[in-house]
Amino acid sequence: MPPNGSNSAAAVWAILRKECRSEWRTRYGLNAALLFAVTTLTGVSFAVGRLPDRADLLAALLWVVLLFAALASLSHAFVREVEGHTLTLLRLVASPTAIALGKLLFNLLFLAVLEAVTVPLFLVLMGGPSVHWGPFLLILGLGSLALAASTTLVGAVVSQTRGRGALFAAVSLPLLMVVLAAGVSGLRAQWDGNPVTTEARLLAAYAAVVLGASVLLYDHLWED
Amino acid sequence: MIPRLLLFLWIAAALLGGFLWAPLVPALGGSTRVLYFHIPSAWITALALGWSMLHSVLYLRTRRLGHDDHAAAAAELGVLFCIVATVSGSLWARVQWGSYWNWDPRETTIFFLLLVYGAYLALRSAIEGEEKRARLAAVYSVIAFVTVPFLIFVVPRLYATLHPSPILPQRGEGRAMDPRIRICFLAMLVGFTALFFWILSLKVRLVRSERRALSESATQS
Repeated sequence: MPPNGSNSAAAVWAILRKECRSEWRTRYGLNAALLFAVTTLTGVSFAVGRLPDRADLLAALLWVVLLFAALASLSHAFVREVEGHTLTLLRLVASPTAIALGKLLFNLLFLAVLEAVTVPLFLVLMGGPSVHWGPFLLILGLGSLALAASTTLVGAVVSQTRGRGALFAAVSLPLLMVVLAAGVSGLRAQWDGNPVTTEARLLAAYAAVVLGASVLLYDHLWED
Repeated sequence: MIPRLLLFLWIAAALLGGFLWAPLVPALGGSTRVLYFHIPSAWITALALGWSMLHSVLYLRTRRLGHDDHAAAAAELGVLFCIVATVSGSLWARVQWGSYWNWDPRETTIFFLLLVYGAYLALRSAIEGEEKRARLAAVYSVIAFVTVPFLIFVVPRLYATLHPSPILPQRGEGRAMDPRIRICFLAMLVGFTALFFWILSLKVRLVRSERRALSESATQS
């Protein structure tokens, strides 16, 4: 691990590798999130049946399933450090920005795995109209980036409070309304065969702004 | 004492003017008068959010708890005025649009602000220790503030597709307002702003004297 205070790419990479390794050892964060997503999906699919011609409902349901699975698990990366009393040690070897960026990348990877399982299952179970893969993946990818950017910062904040689990979803949701709205609108547009340029730009701009603000704020996450 | 009395008289005069002297807009009828409460409250909601965020940034830069007192007090007042704006807007919508709530872009934005304020205060209540609470709340406040403008762009697009035609034309700001209505409205706007800063200063002073009393009792014991 690089020396104290470094926020170089090497430190970020080391944090990411450490996160992946400790997640892989237990996998309980990923297992919980996947189970949560599949359970929600089953509930949704069981309740409404197949929706071959309702792009509006499909877009909303897919984002709701993804959002709630993400909210159930994305604070995990920081909460794990607090509960295991390992944060102090981590802070000795890396700068706050490196830690947060490493965990952001981990959260992004986590979301990608979650979506790789949930989205195909969703499409099969709900029987929606055929997907335009380019715009679909663009909206999903940018939406995930925006989701990971804001939940990583909120996760770091919430991990230092009482009642972390319940608070994380409540505190993240107001920030994610925009992502939800743009994501739903974008997915619906691609199912309807319309361009998704506006939504893609909006999600990209949101992610960029939140990331920019986060990088400035990461230094204030922990006491010096 | 005198400024408070003046503020009371100012708001009373503006209200009386609004109800007795200013005419009604023909298309709106009696519901015109909601304008004197609703728009000033919505303005204070936005002002309080900006004030809270400004002091959050100042806190992160200077680490002086006085800034955090301002940020917290402004957020609490923001909730109050946000509720007034939401409820008065909802009543107006019932009269004009026929339903209390229909996710009109403006309704969505104000509801979103209420969520942001609620989350901010919930977060504060869950953190122990003044410094830590101030620091983390400030971080959240800044990140929440930068996401607000996006809603203004995304929501109209989303809901325009759900509602292809507007239920009723919006009250256009471009349309000339009767000068008497404008005078009363602007007077209420000034009055509400003064009211906000007055209550804000009271809240901040209260928090400070509580802190002083606490530290004095701690040093005595």
